[in-house]
Amino acid sequence: MKHLLSTALAASIALSTPFATTSVHAADEINVLMFGMPFTNGLRDLADDFEAETGIKANIDVVGQDVFESRIALSFTGGTGDIDVVHTPVIQVQRWIQAGWLQPLTDQVSEETTSDILAGPLGAYTVDGEQWALPFFAGVGLMSYRKDLLEAAGAEVPETWEDMLSVAEKITTKDQAAIAMRAAPGQGFNMFIFPMVMRAYGGTFFTDYEGGDFTPSINSPENLEALNVYVKLINDYGPAGAGNFNFAEVNAAAQNGQIAFAVEGTGIISQIVDPANSRFADVTGIALPPGGPAGRSPAIGVHGMGIPASATNSDAAAQFIEWAVSAETVSKIALAQSFPDFTTASVADNPEVVAKYASIHPDFLSTRVAALDLAIGHYRPLIPEWPTLGQAIGESVNAAINGLISPEEALEQAEADMRDILGQ
Amino acid sequence: MIDNSRQFHNRRRFGLAMMITLLVFAALPTVWVLVLSFRAPVAIFEPIWESPTALTLQNFYKITRSDFPAALLNSFITAGLSTTFAMLVGVPAGFALAKARLSGKFIASWVLLLLRMAPPVGFVIPLFLLYANSGLIDTYLGLVFAYMTLTLPLVTWSMWNSFAQVPDELIEAAIMDDASLAKAFFLIALPAARPGAVAAAILAFLVAWNDFFYALIITRSGTTTAPVAVMNFISYDSVDWASIAVASIALTLPILPLMALANRYIVQSLSGAVKG
Amino acid sequence: MTAQAQLRKGATYQLQRGYRLMMVPALLAVAIFAIVPLAGMFALSFSDYHLIRGTNWEFGFHNFAKMLADKRLMNSIYVMAALSVLGVAAQVLIGSAVAVGLQKITGRWRVGRILFLLPYAVPHVAVALIWLSLFTPTLSPINAFFDVFGITVPAMLTSQWGAIFAIVVADTWTNFPFAMLIIMAALQGISPDLEEAAAIDGASRIRTFIHITLPLLAPALLMVTLFRFIDSLKHFPMIFVMTKGGPGRSTQATNFYAYVQTFQSSNVAYGAAIAVMLFLMAALISFYVAKLNQRVTS
Repeated sequence: MKHLLSTALAASIALSTPFATTSVHAADEINVLMFGMPFTNGLRDLADDFEAETGIKANIDVVGQDVFESRIALSFTGGTGDIDVVHTPVIQVQRWIQAGWLQPLTDQVSEETTSDILAGPLGAYTVDGEQWALPFFAGVGLMSYRKDLLEAAGAEVPETWEDMLSVAEKITTKDQAAIAMRAAPGQGFNMFIFPMVMRAYGGTFFTDYEGGDFTPSINSPENLEALNVYVKLINDYGPAGAGNFNFAEVNAAAQNGQIAFAVEGTGIISQIVDPANSRFADVTGIALPPGGPAGRSPAIGVHGMGIPASATNSDAAAQFIEWAVSAETVSKIALAQSFPDFTTASVADNPEVVAKYASIHPDFLSTRVAALDLAIGHYRPLIPEWPTLGQAIGESVNAAINGLISPEEALEQAEADMRDILGQ
Repeated sequence: MIDNSRQFHNRRRFGLAMMITLLVFAALPTVWVLVLSFRAPVAIFEPIWESPTALTLQNFYKITRSDFPAALLNSFITAGLSTTFAMLVGVPAGFALAKARLSGKFIASWVLLLLRMAPPVGFVIPLFLLYANSGLIDTYLGLVFAYMTLTLPLVTWSMWNSFAQVPDELIEAAIMDDASLAKAFFLIALPAARPGAVAAAILAFLVAWNDFFYALIITRSGTTTAPVAVMNFISYDSVDWASIAVASIALTLPILPLMALANRYIVQSLSGAVKG
Repeated sequence: MTAQAQLRKGATYQLQRGYRLMMVPALLAVAIFAIVPLAGMFALSFSDYHLIRGTNWEFGFHNFAKMLADKRLMNSIYVMAALSVLGVAAQVLIGSAVAVGLQKITGRWRVGRILFLLPYAVPHVAVALIWLSLFTPTLSPINAFFDVFGITVPAMLTSQWGAIFAIVVADTWTNFPFAMLIIMAALQGISPDLEEAAAIDGASRIRTFIHITLPLLAPALLMVTLFRFIDSLKHFPMIFVMTKGGPGRSTQATNFYAYVQTFQSSNVAYGAAIAVMLFLMAALISFYVAKLNQRVTS
């Protein structure tokens, strides 16, 4: 019985490989799967340019993030070969490599292309000496603040989370909340923001990440202090419902003047300070996110493009990726969309691009560069298990914010989950 | 007597109040979606009474330029085809189950119900591997077949119930009169079970139209259905509420006339099924 | 006599064969498109298929053993029970109330019933998105309305029971019309003479309702309850769109937990084992429904 089952199932999965190329497409056609963000939307609009230049037709499919994640899990497993270029978030890359879902593109992209890409984001995709994807986006954590509200409260821009607590207390009234941050559970939601507080207090996920000791250390006194601060800021100084805010709600709260501070990624901050979006833009300033006793560690999120192992047209795919991250393409997108998060270095020399973002807010590009300098590559650990770990920790942190469990219990639960996931 | 009439009035008033409350509950989200769909993007987070004139048709125009209309068409094609096939196969099967002398009818009805009701989360991986083997991923045919796992048990089961209401004598008499089985089916049984058939077809269409899970897993850009395409308005750093509202309207409108026309049939056919 | 009997027997045989032929296409379709994935699900549930960790194709009961000690699974069953019980109760209650109320409405106001039917026509993904917007404090007109009077409506999606309430409301909104339709159908089957006779005998309306109407409605109510209950075992779009299982894990119902295990934790085999458990639960309930329905079909 056991044997029969295993044979049947193994056969059905093995069968999928020879048939993998059923969704054959012509050699001069590639399928690109991305999820929706300004860059990918802009890229889709430029698909004809790529075809005009190379004669290769690119079907660029831009879907919602949830849809994306469900689809790739199965496409990669089934080896259907229906995707030639795939959106590769840096936090997924290790997991995908371990699962054998990506092929290295080290030999397929030229030195000329890679030398123009910011070293930090590029390095995040270098694993075991191979290049697995090229980055197109690096979003960092920034803080927006309302100058008028700070002035009225007689407060300075907070440099540390400790300062933030006292400033927030001064600003908060019945009708005015002080701060909003992502709190919704998810490794890309609250776990994009919370590690900024953690690292400011010296907290870490593992005993010694760089030394290779992956014993969970989430249940440390430093992390507990950080979690208490994070929970207090959201619950005591945030608007109604802040305990489940995500980027969209933070953005909305800042734009209708509900809050004085937003600690967010560049994508959201650029919308908050843009006069075209927000009535409060002219009284809003930009600063680095707060730090703490252990320094300042702005959040960083990197997105890139890679080639699935099952891709049927990897040469054309590599050609597409090189075109997509080229200074020319990226400049076009930076001008057409709200996209200041580029990783192609020479785009910053393009006077039109510089002028565009300076007109939105004079400090924007310079603060972004300062934050990028401070950000550490493994802000969120670059290990295959991270997506699962981040999801689990994010759930516990969110439960603490909403009072379902205490911060102590949340970190204990997170540590137990981490051990479970890591098989320790 | 006077007491009685006051009581009567109170009860009436209470009943009316309750109906109005429930009507508000039923209608509020609909009104809200209409408002949202006409809201100008800059005013979307403001209450309607603060800027009642910030309305626009731009949201409707915008959605015609997105991938959504194509997805709507895909939904029509797949829900329509899967309903048609389910009717072609399921109506005769329902008739046969209702009238044939068979052992194991109970098992059959149990299996049909179970197939209709089992959660699909466990099916999708095997289904996906089966489809990957046979090249059915991102094809209309693949999605239609997947939907038939939902629609066929539904049609067969409810047609079985409907045909059970048609007296056996009618069929037997027709066959005695030398009519073929096919003739008896088309000329006697089917007309008698028409309300049930209309109801079954509409419910089947609804189930397929409504599906999110199968479409999420086995479609790609070519055959994305509308319920999945709506999710694309939630992107990495923004939620396009106005487009979501327009899309929700577009998803509901085609169903509305069906429901209006068919609720009579649905009630008729269900009343057969629930008579004790 | 014998010749004729034989003739009739032949005719019956042919007739029965005709019936069987009519079933063949449906049987084939079911076999290919339902039984195959079903068998796959059972096979996977005994396997060790894991997308990341690697797979040795060893079969056994380890997934089911793991389920027994899985606290998250227990939590998910608890959540599922809360969602199902509250949702089904609300749907049956509201559905009955509207059905009884609509019975009294005659004339041209009858077209108004479409307003009550409309929520049933809205696809679940849209339902979830609409209610998500209504439960988002920065966007919701409900919050804005009460703000005018200085009342702050608490955010629903930030507490376990708030989030469960939000999902139940959305689920009830779209599904009470189903209960309403069935109960309307059953009410049509009740002769008004019975109620009138009771009224003439001096019975109060409440007594009439409890002793005459309710027992006649009982089969319909039971049917609705069971149907909605089984359907509520596969809660997916509402949770997927509205809460993603949060806050914390407090709305991860079992079906959603199986999805999380399969797609987020890559543990396909364990996800399949949970799906098998749900399947067996559905099998149990549909067995009961089929038994109830037997009277109608035989």
